[in-house]
Amino acid sequence: MLDFSILTTNMDSFLEGLKITIIASLIALLGSFILGTLLAVMRISPFKPLNWLGTAYVEFIRNIPVLVIVFFAYLAGNFGGMTAGTIGLTIYTAAFIAEAIRAGIMSVPKGQMEAARSTGLTYGQAMRIVILPQAIKIVIPPLGNQFINLVKNSSLLAVVAGGDLMYQGDLISAKTYVTFDTYVFVALFYLILTIPLSLGVGYLEKRLARSN
Amino acid sequence: MIVFNQVNKFYGDFQVLKDINLTINQGEVVVVIGPSGSGKSTLLRCINHLETISDGTLTVNGISVGDKKTDINKLRRNIGMVFQHFYLYPHKTVLENITLAPMKVLGQSEKEAKDTARQYLEKVGILDKAESYPSQLSGGQQQRVAIARGLAMKPEIMLFDEPTSALDPEMIGEVLDVMKTLAREGMTMVVVTHEMGFAREVADRIVFMDAGRILEEAVPAEFYENPREERARLFLSRILNH
Repeated sequence: MLDFSILTTNMDSFLEGLKITIIASLIALLGSFILGTLLAVMRISPFKPLNWLGTAYVEFIRNIPVLVIVFFAYLAGNFGGMTAGTIGLTIYTAAFIAEAIRAGIMSVPKGQMEAARSTGLTYGQAMRIVILPQAIKIVIPPLGNQFINLVKNSSLLAVVAGGDLMYQGDLISAKTYVTFDTYVFVALFYLILTIPLSLGVGYLEKRLARSN
Repeated sequence: MIVFNQVNKFYGDFQVLKDINLTINQGEVVVVIGPSGSGKSTLLRCINHLETISDGTLTVNGISVGDKKTDINKLRRNIGMVFQHFYLYPHKTVLENITLAPMKVLGQSEKEAKDTARQYLEKVGILDKAESYPSQLSGGQQQRVAIARGLAMKPEIMLFDEPTSALDPEMIGEVLDVMKTLAREGMTMVVVTHEMGFAREVADRIVFMDAGRILEEAVPAEFYENPREERARLFLSRILNH
């Protein structure tokens, strides 16, 4: 039977960890969405150097373990654990979001760009006003899945003392020696976050499928 | 107004356009016909630089289209284009589709752009759809919006790339009617189409292409009654006798 006193006596720590996990995830989501969109546009840009830069970023970052990236972010700057962890997550997730958005851009018919350009819009205007809004609508479901991954990956903040849910779990289990039960509660807190997200993504998928 | 001089175009080793010489004057309606793959659409798309010519010169109003120094966005303001598959922006309303370029490119105010847009929507006969989204419109209505979108920039030239080929037969007439009105008002038009009735009635000149070459240029009456080229004769007999 689970030892619920672990939960009740350490509720403040759990909630503090939950709060930091949520904040870090939201900041990393926003950051990686902006960076990822920029990278996606670079990767399909007709300007070759931008193209290479975007491709190099995605290929390098995607193929390094996120744990290593979080370590680098921690060691490279004079940041606290939470900041470094959030930066690491942003850098890593941006590579995946870039690929999702690039796929979205590619799935918008080529004629949309041609129609926009033929009215005299610049490439940048056509991309921003005509192509990206269509592309992002298409990639909302895969972006939702990236967000769920991001929430789970945020547990890596623990290795740089980021103060998140996983980190609080480590502290509690070290203090109480009740290891198994502590991590069961940690897992339950993650589920409280991820299951609604997962249901939300499923709902969006269905709605978008219908509107098309 | 539009002058092709010894224009060639290659896709890799494949030559799509061969020694094209063609002059289109202001106010003229030129209809380009020919079998699939003959280079008609490519020819059209070179005019507003959606395709790049490989050699030769192509000028619009005296400005070289392929030249690096040419501001292509400025040139394109003056050349409207209508596509086979309309390519209206699906996330924008009919009115927004039409006002986008006048506002962003010409710097018109929203009110000014909307007034102009309504005026052209009325001209193409679908003012009542101004607030609809493209997906709520029939193919013929979408194509008429696309024409209005092109006209809203007040261009001197309109290019039509098989504007009725993706339409249900019942809707072809409404689009052709709009195009006929434009032609009558003196718009310079280059039209790639298989609509022989339209070509015969409206065109000042027919350009017949095959395998990347212009084989024949003639006024419609002459072309339809007595095509000089054997290939043109064969083409006409195939599409007219069915």
